[in-house]
Amino acid sequence: MSSILQEIEMQIAGAKTAVLRQNIGIVREVYDGVAKIEGLADAMYNEMLDFGDGVMGLALNLEETEVGAVILGDYLRVREGQQVRTTGRLLSVPVGKALLGRVVDALGRPIDGKGPITAETTYPVERIAPGVIKRRSVNQPVQTGIMAIDAMIPIGRGQRELIIGDRATGKTTICIDTIINNARLNREAEERGERDYRPLYSIYVAIGQKQSNVARVITELEKAGAMPYTIVVVAAASDSAANQYLAPFAGCAMGEWFMDNGMDALIVYDDLSKHAVAYRQVSLVLKRPSGREAYPGDVFYLHSRLLERAARLNEKHGNGSLTALPIIETQAGDVTAYIPTNVISITDGQIYLETDLFYQGVRPAISVGISVSRVGSAAQIKAMKQVAGRVKLDLAQFRELAAFAQFGSELDARTQAQLERGKRIVELFKQPPYNPLPVEVQVAVLWAVQNNFMDDVPVEKIKDFQNKLTEFLTLRRSALLAQIRVEKAVTDALAAELKSALEQFKQTYR
Amino acid sequence: MKISKQARRSAKQLFKSCLRDGQLDDQNVRRAVQALLESKPRGYLAVLTHFRRLIKLEVQRRTALVETVVELKPAQAQRIRNSLEKLYGPGLRFVFTQRPELIGGVRVQVGSDVYDGTVRARLDALKAAFASHE
Repeated sequence: MSSILQEIEMQIAGAKTAVLRQNIGIVREVYDGVAKIEGLADAMYNEMLDFGDGVMGLALNLEETEVGAVILGDYLRVREGQQVRTTGRLLSVPVGKALLGRVVDALGRPIDGKGPITAETTYPVERIAPGVIKRRSVNQPVQTGIMAIDAMIPIGRGQRELIIGDRATGKTTICIDTIINNARLNREAEERGERDYRPLYSIYVAIGQKQSNVARVITELEKAGAMPYTIVVVAAASDSAANQYLAPFAGCAMGEWFMDNGMDALIVYDDLSKHAVAYRQVSLVLKRPSGREAYPGDVFYLHSRLLERAARLNEKHGNGSLTALPIIETQAGDVTAYIPTNVISITDGQIYLETDLFYQGVRPAISVGISVSRVGSAAQIKAMKQVAGRVKLDLAQFRELAAFAQFGSELDARTQAQLERGKRIVELFKQPPYNPLPVEVQVAVLWAVQNNFMDDVPVEKIKDFQNKLTEFLTLRRSALLAQIRVEKAVTDALAAELKSALEQFKQTYR
Repeated sequence: MKISKQARRSAKQLFKSCLRDGQLDDQNVRRAVQALLESKPRGYLAVLTHFRRLIKLEVQRRTALVETVVELKPAQAQRIRNSLEKLYGPGLRFVFTQRPELIGGVRVQVGSDVYDGTVRARLDALKAAFASHE
C-alpha cells in the first residue's frame, strides 16, 4: 500500500514545482537563554531562527563550526538535539497607528489585555539610519512644557537630547511631562481643527524598569489623557536580557514608521544604561570578548546606531522627524564614566540633573551651566527667543555672583539687582511634576520678569505670583494668550497689551 | 573536557593536512590518528577530541542522507545521485535509509540543507499552521 502511495507522491511531486529548500541545524548546547547550534550553514547575521513550538531566536554569533543564537521567548522549551530552521527573515515588529494607546513588549505583542493588534505593516528592528542627503536641519520646536527647558535648553524635532543624572532626580518625569504636553497640544489642535499643526506622537520605551514604575507611568499618562497619542514598549527587569536588548530597536522601528510617513514622533529610551547592561549580559553569555568595565567592544556602536535613526527628513522624503530623548543614569554624578561619555558624544546636547539642586528644592533639578542643546534657538518660536534670549546669561551671571550673596547689603546696586533678578528666575523655573505649561503662558511669565514686573515681589511669593498671573491670563486674557500662540512672536502691539494686562493684574495682586 | 586554544589549533592543522583537493582523505585521517596514539604528545586527548569533531562536521557536510519509506529502485536512486552531484559537486557520500513514519515521499538532507517532500512534513506543517492560528 505504501509503495503505491509513494509512487503517486513522486508523480505528483514531479508534476508540481520543486520542493522548497530548508536549512536546518541541531541544538548542541542550551544555557542562559542562548543556544549553540551545529549545522545551519546558511544562517545570516540577525536572522530569525525557528526553534519549533512557537519559540524564535536571533542568530548573533556566526562561528566556523556553529551558530550562537539568543532565544526570544520561553527558552526552557528548547532541548539539546532539537532541530532549528532558518526563516530567511530579519526580526520585525508591527508598526502603524494601530499601536497608539497600546502597551506592547519588545516584539510588538500586546501585553495590556486589550486584544490583538492589527498592524498594517511590519518594520525590521535593525535598519540603517537615513543618510546625509535625506536629512534637513532641525527648526521645529518640541514643546516640553517645562519652562527651564523650553527657555534655555530648547529641544527641536529631529534632535537627540540626552537626559542624564543620578537616580531619583526627575529624569523620567521630564519625559512624561513632554509626552503629556504634546498630547494636550495634539488634542487642542484637533479640536480647533487646525490643519497646519503637525501632531507629535510619543513612544515610551521602558528598558529594565521595575514593573511598578512602568505601571505608575502608564497611570499618569492615562490620567492626563495622553495614551491615545502614545505607544508604550515594555521590557521590564523580569524580561530576558535579549528582550531588554531589543526593546529600544523595536521602539525605534515604530518611530521610524511615523518619520517615513511624513509625521513627527518622539521616543523616550528609559534608560540606556540598563540597555547597555543587558547587551553586556548577552555578549558575555555568547562568549564574546569583553572590554572596559566588561562591556563588549561594540557598546558604542550599539547606541550610536540606535540614536542615529532619530533624524529630520527633508521635503523630498516626507518632512517627517523622530526626536530621541535617551536617559542615562549616572552613579554619584560621574559623567566621565564609560557609557555616559559614549552617549554624550552621540547626542545633540544633554540636560544634566543634579541631586544637590533637587534637595535644595530646585525641581526640575536642571543644572543650567552644564546643560546644553546644540540646536539651541533654531528650535524656538520667535516669541520665546525674544523673552528667553538673555535668561541663560542672566542665570549664569547670577551663579557667578551667588557666592557674594551672603554679603547682601555691601554690594553695589547693579550687582544687587542681578542677584535679585537671578533669585526670581530660579524661583520661576521651579515647576511641579506632571504639570506642563503652555508655551504662551511661559512667554508671558518670562516677559513679565524681563520687563521688571516682578522686581518688587518678594522671592518667597514669586511662585504664588506666577500661579495667580497664569490664572488671570488664562481666564481673563485668553484672547491675548491665543494671539501669542498663533503669531508666535511678541509684536509691539502684543507687548503693549501684555503691559496693560500686567499692570491691571498687579493692582489686584495681594 | 576543556579543549585549550592550542589543542584546537593543532587539531585544525591536522585536519587541514588530511584534506586533499578539498575532500577528506580517509587514509590520511587513519594515519594521523595512529601517529597521535603512538607518540602521545602532551594534550593529545584534547587534540584528538577536537579533531574528531572537525572530521564529524566535515563528513556531515559532504553526506547526502536520502530517506524514503520503501527501498528505492536502482534507477530512482541513480537519478537522485545525479541531481545531487550536479548541485553539490562530486564526492558526496550517499546514505539511503528507510523510515516508514514518513508515510510517503522522499527526504534528502545534504549537510544542513533539507529537501523535504514527504507527506509527514506536509502534515507537520499543517499542524504547525493550525497551532499558530489558534
